[in-house]
Amino acid sequence: MNLSPFRMTLLGLSLLIPAALCAVVLFLLIYSGQAIGFNGLHFVTDINWNLGDLYDDPVTVKGIQVPSGANYGILVFIVGTLLSSFIAIIIAVPLSVGAAIFLAEAVPPRIRPVLSMLVELVAVVPSVVFGLWGIAVLIPFIGHYIAPTGNGYGLLAASIVLALMITPIIATTLLDALMQVPKENRESAFALGATHFEVVSKAMMPMVRTTLVGGIVLALGRALGETMAVLMVSGGGINILPTSLFSPISTIASFIVAQLDSAESDPTNMAVRSLAEIALVLFIITLAVNAGAKILSSGALHVRKRQH
Amino acid sequence: MKISAKLRRSGVAALAVAAVIGTAGIAHAATTLVETGSSLLYPLFNIWVPDFSAANPGIQLTTTSTGSGAGIAQAAKGLVQIGASDAYVSDSLEKKNPTLLSIPLAISSQAINYNLPGLNDKNIKLSGPVLAAIYMGKITMWNDPKIKAMNPGVDLPDHVIIPVHRLDGSGDTFIFTQYLSASTPAWAKTLKYGTAVSWPAITGEIGAKGNTGMLSAAAANPYSVAYIGVSYANQVAKDGLGVAMLKNKAGKFVLPDADTVGAAANSVVTDTPPDERISMIFADGDNAYPIANYEYAVVNSQQPDATTAGAIRTFLSWAITSGNSMQYLSKVHFLPLPDAIKILSQTQIAKIQ
Repeated sequence: MNLSPFRMTLLGLSLLIPAALCAVVLFLLIYSGQAIGFNGLHFVTDINWNLGDLYDDPVTVKGIQVPSGANYGILVFIVGTLLSSFIAIIIAVPLSVGAAIFLAEAVPPRIRPVLSMLVELVAVVPSVVFGLWGIAVLIPFIGHYIAPTGNGYGLLAASIVLALMITPIIATTLLDALMQVPKENRESAFALGATHFEVVSKAMMPMVRTTLVGGIVLALGRALGETMAVLMVSGGGINILPTSLFSPISTIASFIVAQLDSAESDPTNMAVRSLAEIALVLFIITLAVNAGAKILSSGALHVRKRQH
Repeated sequence: MKISAKLRRSGVAALAVAAVIGTAGIAHAATTLVETGSSLLYPLFNIWVPDFSAANPGIQLTTTSTGSGAGIAQAAKGLVQIGASDAYVSDSLEKKNPTLLSIPLAISSQAINYNLPGLNDKNIKLSGPVLAAIYMGKITMWNDPKIKAMNPGVDLPDHVIIPVHRLDGSGDTFIFTQYLSASTPAWAKTLKYGTAVSWPAITGEIGAKGNTGMLSAAAANPYSVAYIGVSYANQVAKDGLGVAMLKNKAGKFVLPDADTVGAAANSVVTDTPPDERISMIFADGDNAYPIANYEYAVVNSQQPDATTAGAIRTFLSWAITSGNSMQYLSKVHFLPLPDAIKILSQTQIAKIQ
C-alpha cells in the first residue's frame, strides 16, 4: 500500500468519524455505568420517574449514593417515542406517496423541479419552527375541534408535527425512485391499455416498494430523535402511559432536554448519569432503525440494477 | 437612552480594541465575567449590563440564560463566575461545595394564573392544599366543593381542571412546590419540592416549556390553571388570564403586588441567617403573599485570581445598590432587597477573593 502523505491524511480524516462515534458510545457507557448498575432492568420496565429529594442528604443504595426517593423508570418515554413516531409514519406515508406520484406523473416536466424543490425545502425548515406552528395553530385547533377535553397538547399534536417533518424525506426518496423506473415499463403498460392509475399502481409502485420502505425507515430515524418540536407540543407526560390520542406524552429525546437542568443540581450526579443511560437507549433504538434502513435500501439498489 | 446606546457602542469598540491588544499579548484587556442560569433573572441582567458596563468599563459581563440548575452547577465547577438561580444552593450541594455562596440580588414572586371564561377578572381564591389536590389529581372539577367553599357567590363551571406545569427544570417549579409542601403535609410527604418534581399522573395535564410555554398553554386552554413567574405579569394581563388570590399562612387571601410581596420579604428579614439561604415561601404576616423568593447569585468565594474576585465584588455590590433601584426592577416586576438584607449580602460579597 502506498503510504503517501495524501493517502495518510485521507485515512486519518476518514477514521475520524467512526472514531467520534466510538468515543460517544464509550462515553455514554462509562458515564452511565453507575446508573446502569443502580437501575438494572427496572429502568426500561418502570413507569415512574422521580429525581428524588435533591435538597436532602443522599442515601446509599447498593453501595451507590443516590438522592432519597430517587427512582428512574423510562417506559413512559420509550412508549411515547415509539407511538408518536409510528403514528407520524401512518400519517406521513399516504401524504408523501401521493405527493411523489403527483410530482412524477401529473406535473408537467417543466415545473416538476420547482415543486420537488419546494418539497425538499420543507425538510430543511428548522424543527423549532414546526414547534411554534404547532403551538400557535395546531394545538388551539385540536383543542377546539377535536379533543374531548379541550386540551390540544399531547400524542396527536406531536405525531402531526412529526409527520409534517418527515413527509418530505419519504416523498423525495420515493420521487427519485419513481423517476428511475425505466421508460419501457411505463410505456408498455400504457400500450397494453392500462389506465394511468393502473400504470402507477401495477407497473411502477411494485418496482419502488423497497425504496419506499427504506425511505420510511429513514424518516422513522428522524422522528425518533426529534427533540425541540416534540418538547413544545407533546404535553410532557410523566409517570403516565398514554391512553388516547390526546394523552400527554414525552419522547426520550425531549425528556432528556427537559430534565437536564434539574438533574444538574443533583449532588450525587445519579440523575445526569441516568439521563446518559436514556441517551444510550435512544441510541440503540435509532441504531437498530438505521441498520434496518441500510439493509432495506441496499435491497432497493439490487432491484434497480436488475431492471437495467 | 441615546447616551446609553452610544456608551454601549463605544463599549463594543473598546472591547474590540481590548481583544486586539489581548491577542498582541499585552495584559491590559478588560476582566471578563460570565453569568449563566435562571431565565427569570436573565432579563434583569440584560437591563443591568449596559449601565453597569458604562460605570465600570474595565469589566466585561456576558449573560446567558440556561436554567437555575445549570447556573448552580456551572458556578460550582468554576465554568462561570456568577450562577443565577431562583433557589439557594441546597444543603447537600453545600456540603460538597462549602465555598459556594448564595447571595440575594432581588425579590421575585409568582402568580397562580387561571383561564376560566367569564371569571378571569374575578380573582378567584385558591389555597395551597387545594392547588396540591389539583396537581395530585384529587380535585378534578372546577366546581369541587372545596373550591366552592372558598369562593362563595362565584359561579364556578362544571368543567374538568387542566393543570399546567413546567416540563423543564425551573425555579418557578421550585417555589411553587415549596408552597405546596409548606402548606400541605400530604404533598410534603410524597412529592416534596425541587426544580423538577415527579408530577402525579393526571390524564388531562399539560407539561409546558418555559414561562412563555406556560403562558401559551394557559391561554390556549380554557379551564386551565398555571403557575407563572411575575416577570410575565404584563403578558398574562395581555392574554386576559385570571390572577388567583392565594391563602397565606395567616389564613388571609392575598394577590401578588408590591405590598404583599414586600410584607413576605419583611417577615423573614430577622430570620435570615448570615449565609442568606432561607425560604420566603408561606411566610408569616397577615398581608404576606405566600409565593415570594430571593433571586440569587451563586458565587464561589475562592476565585482563581484577585482581579476576577475584585470584578465579581464590584458587580455584585453595584447590583444590590444602584442595580436595586426601581428603574431597573420595575421592568421585571421584582422588588428591591430590604436594607438589612443588603448588609448581609455585602458581608457575603466581601468573602469573595
